[in-house]
Amino acid sequence: MAEKNRNGIVVTVFSTASAVGKTLLAVNMTAELARQGYRACVLDLDLQFGDVANFLQLNAQYTIFEAQEAVVKRPVSEFQVMDYLTLYEFDGTEFFVLPAPQKLEESYNISAKAVGQVVSELRHYFDYVIIDTTSAFNEANLQVMDMSTIVTAVAIVDFIPTIKNMKIGYDAMKKIGYESNKIRFILNRSNAKTNIEVSDVEKLMDAQFYHVLPNDFKTAVESTHSGIPIVLDRVNSQTPLGKGLRELVDKYTNRVGPVKTTPGPQKSSWLSGLFKK
Amino acid sequence: MQEYRVMLVESNTDLLQRMATVIQNTVGFQLATAYSDVRDALNQGSIFRPTLILLDVDQVDSYTVVEEFMEKFPDARMLCLGAKWSLPLFRAVVKAGAGGFLVVPFTSAELINGVHGFEEADKGGKVITFFSPKGKSGKTTFIANMAVELAEQSGSRVGIIDADLQFGDMAMFFNLSPQSTIVEAVRDIGFLSPTTLNSYFIPVSDKVSVLCGTRRPEYAEQVLPEDFTALVQMARGAFRYLLIDVPSAFTPVSIAASEISDKVCVMAMVSGGFEIQHMKQCLEIFKAFPDCYDRLRVCFSRVEPCTDEMREKLEHELGFPVFAIIPNEYLLLSTAANNGRIVADIRPDSAFAKSIKSIVKEIYLEDRKG
Repeated sequence: MAEKNRNGIVVTVFSTASAVGKTLLAVNMTAELARQGYRACVLDLDLQFGDVANFLQLNAQYTIFEAQEAVVKRPVSEFQVMDYLTLYEFDGTEFFVLPAPQKLEESYNISAKAVGQVVSELRHYFDYVIIDTTSAFNEANLQVMDMSTIVTAVAIVDFIPTIKNMKIGYDAMKKIGYESNKIRFILNRSNAKTNIEVSDVEKLMDAQFYHVLPNDFKTAVESTHSGIPIVLDRVNSQTPLGKGLRELVDKYTNRVGPVKTTPGPQKSSWLSGLFKK
Repeated sequence: MQEYRVMLVESNTDLLQRMATVIQNTVGFQLATAYSDVRDALNQGSIFRPTLILLDVDQVDSYTVVEEFMEKFPDARMLCLGAKWSLPLFRAVVKAGAGGFLVVPFTSAELINGVHGFEEADKGGKVITFFSPKGKSGKTTFIANMAVELAEQSGSRVGIIDADLQFGDMAMFFNLSPQSTIVEAVRDIGFLSPTTLNSYFIPVSDKVSVLCGTRRPEYAEQVLPEDFTALVQMARGAFRYLLIDVPSAFTPVSIAASEISDKVCVMAMVSGGFEIQHMKQCLEIFKAFPDCYDRLRVCFSRVEPCTDEMREKLEHELGFPVFAIIPNEYLLLSTAANNGRIVADIRPDSAFAKSIKSIVKEIYLEDRKG
């Protein structure tokens, strides 16, 4: 049985604008955290059309639907969250995935409260629980954002309606009462060819960017179809986008300087611990 | 149009004279009587058997007097008059039983327009819902540009309903700061008619009007699916074509809109992701409609190259007919939207504008045949 001894950090990746790179970010943050030796998992809360499993070319047996159903239907003491996760492995890096429901009808019958309980359980087994979401204020998103240590709010430089939506979203989050240091703004695709400047976006939103990622459509698309996160690929991890993603995670883990590339003893004991029954 | 016998109630003598002249000069209207005192009109007016009452409400103490008139003159319609239109005023008088509001002094055309809605509403209104599995599909841009082109080609009134409740962009696309939005329309639907509902829509051209989305995401929960459905059914009576922008994915509102629409346009933007897979998942659900091939129209935006070969490729991958493909012209489209303009106004010769023109032509011809 895996050791239930952690008190994980929950990071929700959210945006009130669509197609900003939430899934890419969530998957790569999880992968990089795992690569750095942390126990990490990613939960896909984009319930109807989530792409986390697609980005990783993962065939999962169970999804968040079965996990939250177990919480609802069975006694809490019986719930083993690890039973519902699928392992992703590439080139020595491993992390766990809880994908979005397989069927659309299932996505309609998800209890936000049960999702919260699943996340609580995940925190006991992982150092980091990364949650991908859809761009709306719905019950499930609000539940996990409440529980999150950090809400990574993703923005892009795009036309004015998108900026308006990001600003409205940010204002709404402030109204909900999240302290400003809970919300970290990441600007993605920062140098894409648009009609607006980065500084204009900051001014319009009255927010400072915690981190800025460059635009690299080619690398992003390639990674989503290869099933290999950018940060784990030997070539792609060295692109400006790959480096930017690694630097972002360094900021989250307070790490300064170069990262160990070989897995340390701590990591392998966790892995072998997982398979002890 | 029937002939109206008008009773005019106006305390300002000057205004009364002016309006009396207009009424007499308007074909289809006859000034049966005029009163400067409201109580006199109420107590004595029935002898003239008016079928239309024009009542200036700026001087009244309370709008309950409207109710009194409606009780006393059950066969008459009422239009309230006043110096300025405002939503709260309009709402109050319509709730009390009035059929509309005119700003004074009015012209003959305005008077005729005011009673237009009393006549049999055009039941031929066609409703098209624009659905997308995920956000950033290009549908708001598509709807805005299509509406203007459709009004142009058909010569008919086109209404847009922005039901993308939390983050609707239609107001921005047309540079609108609306007094009324879908929230107010849905709130008031219980006592509205197609004519009065029309006032909640903001005209952006002489044939296109927009019912804007919520001002803040928190207001979205005030729009219940049943009220939204009632709103759409009523709006059919005010517009020949009704285009509805709904939130992405299957939500109570997007489902309700799809169910009552004549056509559902399912849209996705080609962007190197899993758009085809998402589209297939959507179509699986929509295939529950018995006439799905007739009802559904699959559209892809940002298609490069925007050719017939590419359309066939998409159809083949999807296993379903693709109705329209729209080219990628990001900088042009974003410039237009940023300035509240329609693409055809700035670059009518652009690939996008031409594409919209031919898509609308197909829709309009199809509609005329069917």
